[in-house]
Amino acid sequence: MKHRFSKSDVLLALITLIGLAGVVGLSRLIDARQPATLAGGTDDQLYLSGSTVKRVSIGFNGLAADWYWMRSLQYVGRKILKSGQGLQLDNLGTLNLKLLAPLLDTATTLDPEFMEPYEYAAIVLPGIDINEATRITKKGITANPNSWRLYQHLGYIYWQQRDYEAARETYREGAKIPGAPAWMEAMQARMAAEGGSRDTAREIYRRMFEQSDDPKVKEMARTRLLQLQSLDERDALRRLMNGYKAQMGKCPATWLELAPALRVLKVPTDTNGAPFDPAGVAYVLLPDKCDLETDPKSKVPSN
Amino acid sequence: MYILKKMLGRIAAIAGNAFREAVRDRVLYNLVLFVLLLTGAAVFIGELSGGQERKIIVDLGLSAMLLFGVFISIFVGVGLVYKEIERRTVYTIFAKPVSRGEFLLGKYLGLCLTLLVNVVVMGGGVSLALIYVSGGIDPLVISIWPAILLIYVELMILTGVALLFSSFSSPALSALLTFFVFIIGHFSADLKSLATSLGGTAARWFFAGLYYLLPNLANLSYITPAAHGQSPNLGYISTAILYALLYIAVVLASATLVFSRRNFK
Repeated sequence: MKHRFSKSDVLLALITLIGLAGVVGLSRLIDARQPATLAGGTDDQLYLSGSTVKRVSIGFNGLAADWYWMRSLQYVGRKILKSGQGLQLDNLGTLNLKLLAPLLDTATTLDPEFMEPYEYAAIVLPGIDINEATRITKKGITANPNSWRLYQHLGYIYWQQRDYEAARETYREGAKIPGAPAWMEAMQARMAAEGGSRDTAREIYRRMFEQSDDPKVKEMARTRLLQLQSLDERDALRRLMNGYKAQMGKCPATWLELAPALRVLKVPTDTNGAPFDPAGVAYVLLPDKCDLETDPKSKVPSN
Repeated sequence: MYILKKMLGRIAAIAGNAFREAVRDRVLYNLVLFVLLLTGAAVFIGELSGGQERKIIVDLGLSAMLLFGVFISIFVGVGLVYKEIERRTVYTIFAKPVSRGEFLLGKYLGLCLTLLVNVVVMGGGVSLALIYVSGGIDPLVISIWPAILLIYVELMILTGVALLFSSFSSPALSALLTFFVFIIGHFSADLKSLATSLGGTAARWFFAGLYYLLPNLANLSYITPAAHGQSPNLGYISTAILYALLYIAVVLASATLVFSRRNFK
């Protein structure tokens, strides 16, 4: 049986289509005219505490924890995008991330064995609220006393605060846990001997890169490793420049003047003789200051 | 022995019919929605989860399995008996040598079979999604099944409760009451702490009674640990199944008791 469309069918379809188009248009208009307070100019408060959400989640607390975790990631990501700067995860203090601690706290209250929010709290929160970062990580240790990685996170927080004694003690406690890798013990010794050295920093970021499942944390650790390598390279290049100055009585005006010395050191250079930083972008020579710096286009942070 | 065999045959026939009726009512169509949900999660969640897609797929998959199962248990469960009475087909059934207990048990087992198919297909879907996001066999594919078994046990209890309410009440009220039991069943720990913390003896007895009377569904909720690769041990599972079977027996016996006294005229 053939079905023919009547006039009323066509009219109803048209009303549906035009109505939908109108709804889309009006929504866009309302979005454009929304006051700043509604458009996310200020952060909302979390209406429910972690323990309340856990109580009302009736067996779906794992899913609720995932929701809060993803909300944390979106919250940080949105703020970074809005800032328009290529900020690293451990340097977000300027972004006013006041909701991050409650979001991570709620996620870990809902699912105390969920490790990634603790890692995020240890890496991102110290730049925003050091007390919350320490509290959430310690809460994780209480809930998961057999997780050596939480001790690694807490040690990292103390190390960042230059509290090498607390960091040493934390790595020592973590190293005692069955299954903890041998480098936790080595880290304890390193903290005691040279807590503030670049080698210690390199070791910390190398282990963070190895252990993390979060691509953003891995990226941050990789960038910090590149930065440490660049700091060593810049020190070596400064020594070269100082040697050149001592010999010639002036600073090099171009990288080509240092070419023989760079060749001896087997430093890769571009066509102008400028050495590459670890991200593959040439260093910028500052002849007036007899110094060098990273190119602003480089992924390697300057300091 | 012969009588028992005949009785089991009658129960199986009613259960088979209840299952066919559920399939005809497109109850299993929820699987399509579930597959879409999981496919979407498997494809897109990686971008949003910071490397936690495996955990989120287990949480999402098993929570959806429980939620869809609860809706089927409640909304199909409360209609099992009511529809037969409403359509007056109950007269033709009871004109045959079928007891009211056999009728209820058959209906119950039919819906349990529907839920079993639902849960097994959904479990397979979660396993496939895990294999997809892990790019191969993942230990979670195996370790989620004890949690799935406990979800099924929870749904069996809830179906029994829905059947009990529907044996003496209207479908809307039965659905509401069963939903309340589902909610309160997950607050059983609070009931217990209320019972111990209250000063008055009567109140203490009341809440303690409520704690033991209502099903303790929180003990069957193993979704969150399952997402971390943890499984309950065999002792825990067998005790939980025993508890569920005993509770279901009590609920079905009560339902039969009420239903036997019901006058259809």
